[in-house]
Amino acid sequence: MRLEAVGKRYGLRQPWIVRGVTTDVAAGTLIRLEGRNGSGKSTLLRIAAGALLPSAGRVTGRPHAGYVPERFPTGLAFSAREYLQHLSRIHGLTGPAGLAAVDEWLERLGATEYAAAPLRTLSKGMCQKVAIAQAVLSRPGLLVLDEAWTGLDQAARGELDAAVRERIADGGTVMYVDHDARLAAEVAERWQLADGEVTVRPGAVAPAVPPPAGRTVTVEVAGVEPGSLPRLERLPGVVSAAADPPSGILTLTVERRHCDAVLRELLRWDGVHVQALRP
Amino acid sequence: MIALLRYQNGVLFRSHRWILPLIGYALLLAVGGAGSGAQSLVNGLDWSAAILVPAVAVLTRSLVTAEPGAARACVAVASGPAKAQLATLVMAFTAGAVLGLAGAGYEALTSGHQAGLLVPLLTGLGTALICALVGSAVGALFNPPVIRHPAAALLCTIAAVVLAWVARISPANAALRGGSASQYSAAWPAGLPLAAALVLVAAAWTASCWLAGRRGE
Repeated sequence: MRLEAVGKRYGLRQPWIVRGVTTDVAAGTLIRLEGRNGSGKSTLLRIAAGALLPSAGRVTGRPHAGYVPERFPTGLAFSAREYLQHLSRIHGLTGPAGLAAVDEWLERLGATEYAAAPLRTLSKGMCQKVAIAQAVLSRPGLLVLDEAWTGLDQAARGELDAAVRERIADGGTVMYVDHDARLAAEVAERWQLADGEVTVRPGAVAPAVPPPAGRTVTVEVAGVEPGSLPRLERLPGVVSAAADPPSGILTLTVERRHCDAVLRELLRWDGVHVQALRP
Repeated sequence: MIALLRYQNGVLFRSHRWILPLIGYALLLAVGGAGSGAQSLVNGLDWSAAILVPAVAVLTRSLVTAEPGAARACVAVASGPAKAQLATLVMAFTAGAVLGLAGAGYEALTSGHQAGLLVPLLTGLGTALICALVGSAVGALFNPPVIRHPAAALLCTIAAVVLAWVARISPANAALRGGSASQYSAAWPAGLPLAAALVLVAAAWTASCWLAGRRGE
């Protein structure tokens, strides 16, 4: 994806909010936008996501995108599950795959018990979870987060971190704004906005070079509850999972390039231990 | 597009934003029937078509302003802003067309007309289609994202509806005049007004879809 001389102003006599932004956006990178309030971070995020069209320049090669707005409104008459099912269809997920993705994300974000409640009765944090679920359930190649962590409980913040890492491990790009130092250690690029212009600086890590695909790693883990098996199998890069009930050991075959993300996810689960790792 | 239309259908019917245009249309339909006493079927059909102009304009406003800006942005990212706007306009027009069919059916049932129902009914439905298209064009042109200030949108909509009724260049006016003049004739109310209405609605929808995503919330 590439931004070419992108600029935005809301009218011919209005000042430019951002101007002349030209940069390549590499796949598999985490990009953090930094700048004062009103420096145009949200505008640039919306342009990158495709919610807003630039007044000048263009965005080319944008992958399918998901977007979490700064404040997700409660004014819609749907229940959380109905809204997410509509959005999953609009994102191109049809049939059982869409329904499964909706339920998976409601569960991961801890929103299942509120799934039937109308959006307008939900708290700010719950609405934020719905906003995150609609953005990530189609596994987009570009995920754009505008202060998406705000108002979430600790568990949901952890899930959002995990979702960001999954997107990156999948070779996707994640662009975000957050005023805490969330994920700072994993940022590949920092885009600093000042006076409508963007300066790209390196982040804490080098942009990820995707490891060779096609090769797998065997992981043996203990302590995975049988009920969690389907969720485990849905993790990106998990090729197969074979349980051995007497020993309680689960043998996973994982694509090499997804191995780090899968291990990171597994270690966050209660009672799960990695026993062995074989090439 | 199907997914977008299903979503917009949900937005319209779950939000109860269809109630105001429906009640307004039903009231005007009843007033028109009471005002002229034992009116002819053709007059009734013309009236039910004429009041579709404001009804579809109000339906369009109801739907294009139904979603909060951030929810609109989420859908725009998934489908593209112009396509999302197009689905909104199509849904409002479809709801208006259903309203027009119901209105024409009501007029046919209450007219006491027995023989030769088909020709005036088809003529009336043609007029209704033209009026619904003009109403949709008015709704698309005089609401966000084209006109964003609520008071300006309201005044422009009222002015445009009146013009659509009385100005001789308006396709709706031409269709309504044609319908009354050719009572019981088999003449299609209008090749030309229909073509003009289609051009008008295409231009209005294009403007609305082009601006969606270019203007801020």
